[in-house]
Amino acid sequence: MKLLHRNKDQIDEGQLEELITESQDLHLDAMRDTMAVLPNLRDLAADRRRQGAQLPTAPELEAFSDARSALVRTLGLAAGGIAGFGALTALLSRPAAADTALDVQILQTAVSLELLAVATYGAALTLPFISDGNPVIIKFAQTTMDQHDQHRQAFSAQTKALGGVDQTATNPKYTPIVEAAKPTLAAPADVVALAATLEQVATETYLSDLNMFTDVTSRVLMASVMGVECQHLATLRAVGALLAGAPDLIKIPIGADVAKLPAAAGSVAFPDAFEGVAMASPPQEGAVK
Amino acid sequence: MSDQVTTPSLSRRRLLGSAGAVGLGLVIAACGSDTKDAALSNSTGTGGTTPGSATTLATPGTSGATTAGTTAPTDGGSVDLKVAKLAASLEVLAVGTYKAALDAATAGKLGTVPAAVGEFVTTAMSQHQAHLDAWNKVLTGAGETAVTEPNATLKPTVDAAFGKVTDVTGATMLALQLEEIAAATYNNAQSVLTDKDAIKLAGSIQIIDAQHAAILHFVLGDYPVPDVFAKVDMAAAA
Repeated sequence: MKLLHRNKDQIDEGQLEELITESQDLHLDAMRDTMAVLPNLRDLAADRRRQGAQLPTAPELEAFSDARSALVRTLGLAAGGIAGFGALTALLSRPAAADTALDVQILQTAVSLELLAVATYGAALTLPFISDGNPVIIKFAQTTMDQHDQHRQAFSAQTKALGGVDQTATNPKYTPIVEAAKPTLAAPADVVALAATLEQVATETYLSDLNMFTDVTSRVLMASVMGVECQHLATLRAVGALLAGAPDLIKIPIGADVAKLPAAAGSVAFPDAFEGVAMASPPQEGAVK
Repeated sequence: MSDQVTTPSLSRRRLLGSAGAVGLGLVIAACGSDTKDAALSNSTGTGGTTPGSATTLATPGTSGATTAGTTAPTDGGSVDLKVAKLAASLEVLAVGTYKAALDAATAGKLGTVPAAVGEFVTTAMSQHQAHLDAWNKVLTGAGETAVTEPNATLKPTVDAAFGKVTDVTGATMLALQLEEIAAATYNNAQSVLTDKDAIKLAGSIQIIDAQHAAILHFVLGDYPVPDVFAKVDMAAAA
């Protein structure tokens, strides 16, 4: 339907009036139906939370989201510009319990990344060039594996606190990548590079997640874990650089040999003033299906 | 350098303690009484989303966390700006301290400076300047005045501590304290920030400051990732 005749720059007022009437009818119908259902949805969500019942699963949320988006698009096309439509859109944009469900998905994905990190460091420690290699790298792998396991426990506990189901599987996107990389690991630098990738994914995922949380406790917990994963990443970057040029300087305490460190050791661990989120995993990636 | 590493001339706790800024303060001070009340009422369940959640984040290793309630304060705008001002004042302090260290090193007052340490100071100072610029952009964008003065609470103590620095190790230890205070402050701010961009900015900077701290730990002879969970007990107060 063309409302504006380009050549004449005139609005077809008859067609516009017809469209407005049609839009108002759609709007009223949608308002009536939606307002009738929303209280029930809120009550249902509250009941499910009180009973500790499982929150909507990822596919359920996705389906709901798709349906909601389609409805919003349909109504948006038909009823755009109608007064009061914004309020309806806002209501439809915030389904009952969906925010908590998103929090749960974020935490489940975090658990999946932590599980994969634990498994990867564990596998690395079985490699002879690691287990028989530099003691600092061995200690780092052991300590970091333990720290990731504690992160996993904390995220799992928080998942359950929000009424969600604990994730027990490793991350579905990066597990195949790690498995494919394992046969190619031939030297400590290979392991460090792989671990750095996982640490960067975790760091950026958690950074990306922070402002999606509605639950502040979850957000603070994630920031606390993020502050440690980024230090793992910084250490791996520094170790990776030293492996390439001065492996003997990978020692703690470094002592007087700090004077032998290449200048780049003072900046390689934090190449940018701000951390990005390009490698962040979306909340749904590791959610329980 | 190695022998100096084992003889710390500065105590982190002392720095914070004497500055009267030991943690816990940001949430309460930044929120003000109204928000404090709102946050406390949230913890009773009116706005919370965590069934049975406590008012404190009981995470191993995070002593002193002060998350009041499970939902963000309602007067988020003013709280966000208070956090931005606090953050900017810390960044001014960091830039100024690194600049003073560079000047002292250039004047030969710190002895021989390892190349990696010199590179660290230059890089960290530049990154803190970028952080300061980012917070001031937030502030001026909201109609506030850009912050150009260092944190008034910490400045006298840092100045006094810097006056006692005679070598690279002393300067490195002071830098570590500042980085840990900054990282803890940004971590703690997550419990009160409401604006999505501010949350992301604080998180992004927390990461860089924590990474600065990791490398400083290594330079000082310590394990670079000492905690399982990033602590907030060193967070500065607004």
